[in-house]
Amino acid sequence: MSVPTSHLLYLAAGLFGLGVLGFALRRNVIVVLMSVELMLNAANLTFLAGSRAHSTPGADDVTGAVFAVFVIVVAAVEAAVGLALVIALYRLRRSVDTGAIAELKG
Amino acid sequence: MAETLFYLSAALTLVLAAGVVLARSPMSSVLALLGSFFGLAVVYLLSGFQFLAAAQLVVYAGAILVLFLFVIMLLDLRTAESGGAIPRGRAAAGAALVAAGAAALGLATAVDPGLKAPAGDPTPGGIDRLDVMARALFGPHALAFEAAGMLLLVAMVAVIALAKRERARSGGGA
Repeated sequence: MSVPTSHLLYLAAGLFGLGVLGFALRRNVIVVLMSVELMLNAANLTFLAGSRAHSTPGADDVTGAVFAVFVIVVAAVEAAVGLALVIALYRLRRSVDTGAIAELKG
Repeated sequence: MAETLFYLSAALTLVLAAGVVLARSPMSSVLALLGSFFGLAVVYLLSGFQFLAAAQLVVYAGAILVLFLFVIMLLDLRTAESGGAIPRGRAAAGAALVAAGAAALGLATAVDPGLKAPAGDPTPGGIDRLDVMARALFGPHALAFEAAGMLLLVAMVAVIALAKRERARSGGGA
């Protein structure tokens, strides 16, 4: 596939931007967590684009791919802990609105 | 042919990612995210990452998104709140963010850094062939691999602790 590396990076930038939008604008904690997943995927795509750019048919550079595996692990952990927190919050508040959480407000 | 498929799936990924942000109900958001991850898996596959395309589908679409689905169905959000789309006050800020992002992307395309596609076809079997990945994971990255395993264990304990404490409290109150 002869798609230039920069186009992969544009796709990653667009995905990351949409993730930031969801993270900043939505009030539903679950959708906020999904936006974080979007951003992590954008980071993954960037790592893979780098790995691909540094690979030649004989000598492949898999460092980016290895890092992407670790990002997937962290994403799984983040989703599990985040959703456990959402469930605990819902039991306490009967709501998953970010506006309902203000305990740490100074 | 592969290029057309790439741009098609890239467009699909972006449109569905926008759907995640804009969808009114969290259930639609999850389904849009699922489609977005499928598109991204196709992008990975076309870029020469076969193992990661499979991992993307198995781990993200198969495990993480199912976790999201479980929680959404568990909480029955329709009665709790509409899950509303973007609040009115934030819509203007969102429009400004979109404009800024589009401008930045436009600028980036204008001064295209000229990162060309790698010369030649990718190695048969993909860049991330399992033997190469395994040597990298258990060789130079062995410490990070073990740390990732420890992180998963700690997260599992944390999730159990979070869920169990709440259950004990509600049981005591009843």
